[in-house]
Amino acid sequence: MSQVFDKLLDARGLNCPMPLVNARKEIGKLELGQVLKVVASDRGSVADFQGWAKVAKNMELVGQETESMEGANVYVHFVKRTA
Amino acid sequence: MAERLSDEVWTARDLLERLERRDQFFVLDVRNREEFERFRLEGRSPVPAVNTPYFEMLERGGKDEMLDSVVAYVERDLADQLPSDRPILAVCAKGDTSEFVAQGLRRLGYASANLKGGMKAWGEHYATRALVDGPDLAIYQVSRPARGCLSYLVASAGKAIVIDPLRHLHPYLDLARGTGLTIEAVIDTHGHADHISGGLALAAKTGAPYYLHPYDAIHPMDVLPATIPYEAIRDGQIFPVGRHELKALHIPGHTLGLVAFRLDDRYLFTGDSIFIRSIARPDLGGKADTWAPLHGRSLRRLLGLPGGITVLPGHFSSLDEADGTGRFAASLDDLKQRNDGLIVLQRESEEGFVRYLLESLPKFIPEYVDIKRVNAGLLAPAEEDAATLELGKNVCALSQGYVHSNGGRQ
Repeated sequence: MSQVFDKLLDARGLNCPMPLVNARKEIGKLELGQVLKVVASDRGSVADFQGWAKVAKNMELVGQETESMEGANVYVHFVKRTA
Repeated sequence: MAERLSDEVWTARDLLERLERRDQFFVLDVRNREEFERFRLEGRSPVPAVNTPYFEMLERGGKDEMLDSVVAYVERDLADQLPSDRPILAVCAKGDTSEFVAQGLRRLGYASANLKGGMKAWGEHYATRALVDGPDLAIYQVSRPARGCLSYLVASAGKAIVIDPLRHLHPYLDLARGTGLTIEAVIDTHGHADHISGGLALAAKTGAPYYLHPYDAIHPMDVLPATIPYEAIRDGQIFPVGRHELKALHIPGHTLGLVAFRLDDRYLFTGDSIFIRSIARPDLGGKADTWAPLHGRSLRRLLGLPGGITVLPGHFSSLDEADGTGRFAASLDDLKQRNDGLIVLQRESEEGFVRYLLESLPKFIPEYVDIKRVNAGLLAPAEEDAATLELGKNVCALSQGYVHSNGGRQ
């Protein structure tokens, strides 16, 4: 399954909270309805993006995947701007 | 180390020292609610805490940067919940996000510190204390304070036996190297449910044999044989260590293959049978009805040992069970007077005690089924999964230290 996205944010190698902080900034630059793909190496980001989606007013988490990239697991989040 | 007990960064070791000293401080924990409920900081008494996940701080603080959001959020929404008469420890999973929180709090004038390495570092912190420290006999208690797990290294005349080694091996290897000891045997008192044993790995590393009772080499729920190599322990077996010896006592109940070890009339390594404040639960194999009577009979067998023998347990539920020096040890006579389970055992008939056991069972922890699989070699998790499996404090005792007022895991 591959999710359609409009912009890619590579947050690999960044520690918490930076993948989420950076994703939040990028969301603000998207048009309404556009999707940001965030690739993170921090596994904690999976639960954090879910928790964030519950409290954020301008975005929706439309998908999450775990992929193998260059021999390591990466955690992919698809975030859609809704407001 | 210049930063030891610094005001702005606390290591896991600093934290333990402060918890043991009953220092007053407050915790601002910025992990997910689920993580917070599953694994909280606990001291000799409950540590007051508030939990706001960092992404909520970001959203409610409303700034682009973490630090600015922390300042805005705390100032507007959290200030009335934070004390000004004691330090505030900022806590997160790995210690990076909480550094922003500690900085933000200081910017607002609070005395605030960051827990270095976060709850991961705290969960993996080990403390080693000598219970006896002589050339003829030395006993070291190696604990993992956040989890309430205890293990032992018994040494005499340059030889050592390790009992119930925990998942990280450095405490035992460092101890053996530092004191010039040869580890000759590694023993698990039973197949553990709450933590991943370091037994097999330590045996492989040192070349020592790994011992386990054969009854615990079958997973009680899967009813599948362990795939790990082990030497079978039998009741009454003698394990020489230098000028002393350990004698095995098979005491089924918490598991079918639970074994205690007795060193003369002086020390009794009880594994998961008698703890300091409580006794072990009989239901982690899923067979509480049939194991509870066995457990009662085994505990009565231990009560018949000399009253002056020092009990060295496999767990604690609260740091408050330690004596004034941070050691978890007490004489059997002493425990007959103050251990919840032993008091009931001495008062009740066999049936009455079984009823007490079955009515007192804490919540079952689903992860424990998989942890037993890992220890039997039936499951091999990656490091991150292993850490997640054994997150939080053990729940092997019948009665727990205390319940958090806002409903933490019991």
